[in-house]
Amino acid sequence: MKPAAPLLMLLPALVLVPLAVLLPPLVHGGGWELIGSFALAAVTPSLDPVVLASLLKGLGVTAGMALLGWAGSLVLGLLLGACSSRTVWRTLTGSALPAELIRRLLALPRAIHELIWGLLLLQLVGLQPAVAVLAIALPFGALVARVLSDLLDALPTTGLEALRAAGAPAPAALLTALGPALLPGVLSYGGYRLECALRSATLLGVFGLGGLGTDLKLTLQSLEFRELWSGLWLLLAVMLALEGGISLLRRRWLVPGRFVLARRGVGERSREMLLALAALLPLSVLVGRGLGVDPAALFQWQPLPGLGGGDWATIAALPWPRLVGGTLLLTALAASLAVGLAPLLLLVVAPVGWARQGLRLLWALGRLWPPPLTALLLLFVLEPGVITASLALGFHNLGVLGRLLLESADAADPAAEEALACGGSGPRLALLYGRFSALARPYLAYGAYRADVILRESVVVGLAGATGLGSQLLESLSSFAWDQLLALVAVYALLTLVGEDLSDRARHRWLRAT
Amino acid sequence: MAAGPATAVLALRGVCVSGRGRPRLEDVDLSLAPGERVALLGASGAGKSTLLAVANGLLAPAAGTVLWEGQAPARSRRGRRRQQARIGTLWQDLRLIEVLTVQQNLNAARLARWGWPRALLNLLLPLDTDACAAALRAMDLDPALLEQPVTALSGGQRQRVAMARLLRQEPTLLLADEPLASLDPRLAGELLALLLAHAVAPRALLLSLHRPDLLDGFDRAVGLKHGQVLFDGPVAQVSEALLADLYGGTPPVEKP
Repeated sequence: MKPAAPLLMLLPALVLVPLAVLLPPLVHGGGWELIGSFALAAVTPSLDPVVLASLLKGLGVTAGMALLGWAGSLVLGLLLGACSSRTVWRTLTGSALPAELIRRLLALPRAIHELIWGLLLLQLVGLQPAVAVLAIALPFGALVARVLSDLLDALPTTGLEALRAAGAPAPAALLTALGPALLPGVLSYGGYRLECALRSATLLGVFGLGGLGTDLKLTLQSLEFRELWSGLWLLLAVMLALEGGISLLRRRWLVPGRFVLARRGVGERSREMLLALAALLPLSVLVGRGLGVDPAALFQWQPLPGLGGGDWATIAALPWPRLVGGTLLLTALAASLAVGLAPLLLLVVAPVGWARQGLRLLWALGRLWPPPLTALLLLFVLEPGVITASLALGFHNLGVLGRLLLESADAADPAAEEALACGGSGPRLALLYGRFSALARPYLAYGAYRADVILRESVVVGLAGATGLGSQLLESLSSFAWDQLLALVAVYALLTLVGEDLSDRARHRWLRAT
Repeated sequence: MAAGPATAVLALRGVCVSGRGRPRLEDVDLSLAPGERVALLGASGAGKSTLLAVANGLLAPAAGTVLWEGQAPARSRRGRRRQQARIGTLWQDLRLIEVLTVQQNLNAARLARWGWPRALLNLLLPLDTDACAAALRAMDLDPALLEQPVTALSGGQRQRVAMARLLRQEPTLLLADEPLASLDPRLAGELLALLLAHAVAPRALLLSLHRPDLLDGFDRAVGLKHGQVLFDGPVAQVSEALLADLYGGTPPVEKP
């Protein structure tokens, strides 16, 4: 008895069964009215010019932080990626050992979520715009480095060997043989990272690092829902424009137009890409000026209280099994919700054409709406805890996974689905059998990757109370318990690294079995 | 249902489909009685595929009526699905579901009649094994293939599985758009014989064909040219002159 691919895709949605049992007791009478006025405010956002001006300013700051953090992560990632590539080291020195070493080292900055980076840096150098930029650039840079070195090492090396044999010096040969082949992959992944950077910059704002996120949190806490929605709609417009622009560039640069008769030269297009990359530098400088980023201020460290000699007894006394267990449970619930609900919802709305557009909008809101704010909203009606936090985290990741699934479903071959519908199957079963069959394995493989991201992200819903390591971490941070904090970050990182390994294995298994 | 013995399985009356610039089908009348096996002849672009798309409900004609077993297209979604379930199409690209097993593919033809529980169970357990094995045997295939993924099959086996799936749907109208075009002559002959053998009353078969040398088993031939019916009569009346007219003077396919 082995479930077939399309069924496997729906299995994570079984998490709804325990949730249906566990959720009702968590509902407290409290704030249904608040939820109602929150929902109502969606269609009556504030149009007050003063509010809008302030929100736009915040949006500018968030977008600026995202852009700078992203640009920094690209520079960092390109350098570190080259440094952790086996091919590069083998060509330069004859041994791939340093690459392995650097690769291991880079796992640490990658394993720590940008929020933790942000909060740590905030304590170290005080509140300044550069904190959010750096908090994004560091972990994103390490992520870009990993993807880049994987891409690099997967490229065929025959061209490189031919150039070397002809006497070309190693750096020139590397750049010529591998550079152009790498460009499309870098651009595609880089574009995706910019979308992530915008979401991260908003999230960091929620934790007080400035920009629109801070405005959103303040308006939510003061129950100014109409102003909140003005900010949300603005953010949605920017995010959709960004996503649309990126996919436009992706199509223009990566996929040759099918109906273009006179195809433009490859060289011309690469020149366009390089120009766009080159334009980033002056743009970043300008944005940096605008935000008032002062690199020198990053080196004026504040004295950290009580960093000497940890209190090991207190650290050991933390309820570790409960903390780790809570984090894992939170991750499993949120990941199952996100992975399972996306195909289920698509199936549910399949017969109704316009409902798909509704889902698209709901998912876009899920992507841009920071999970801690969802958690705060849920706390109006639910008790705090792992389940409430997992709903918030699940909703956010449902937005990411749902968009991916919808896009790949739209791009997939419609023939089998059409044939089934033509034979009288209902639209739902035709979609499940005809289209999801081919998508199931790559989707689940991406879901495995996403589960790993969710584990790392679980810290951001720590403010929904007693959710495991995340909530404990925020608590230790606010009580300046540095020794506890370091221990928690270390355990978090360790857990993430194990999770990364597991999700890699799962991903390879899903993709190999096709 | 008022479908007496005389009711046509498929009836097109005055069907028109417009395309870019010129009509794709113009005032087409066509009727298939139960048990009738009709070959659709014509050059590329004559409108064969368009006619088949109208016949299987994929394409609604701009003018004219389509009746399946005497019934106009049902208004309700459920009625329409019941109607579609009785129309079986053999696609040129087969449209098997690659990640599923042969048995799951065969059972996919039952989805129109099954509810969700069975449709989901089919993805977990082997259902209706006897009926599936019978469908395979009818196509001269070994029932041991049932558990195989369709990706493991040879080209000829895939053709036969697609035909077995068609039978498993139990349609009254069998439609096929040049199913033999990409096959070698021996296999094409074998598959055509199997299709003809299963097109018995109350079932009727409409099959578009590029090779007049394969007309023997059919009762009737219909010739299309520029979207219009040029000929509709017994196969015996298909002459060299008619073929020359249909294919614009050039022989459609050199005989192997």
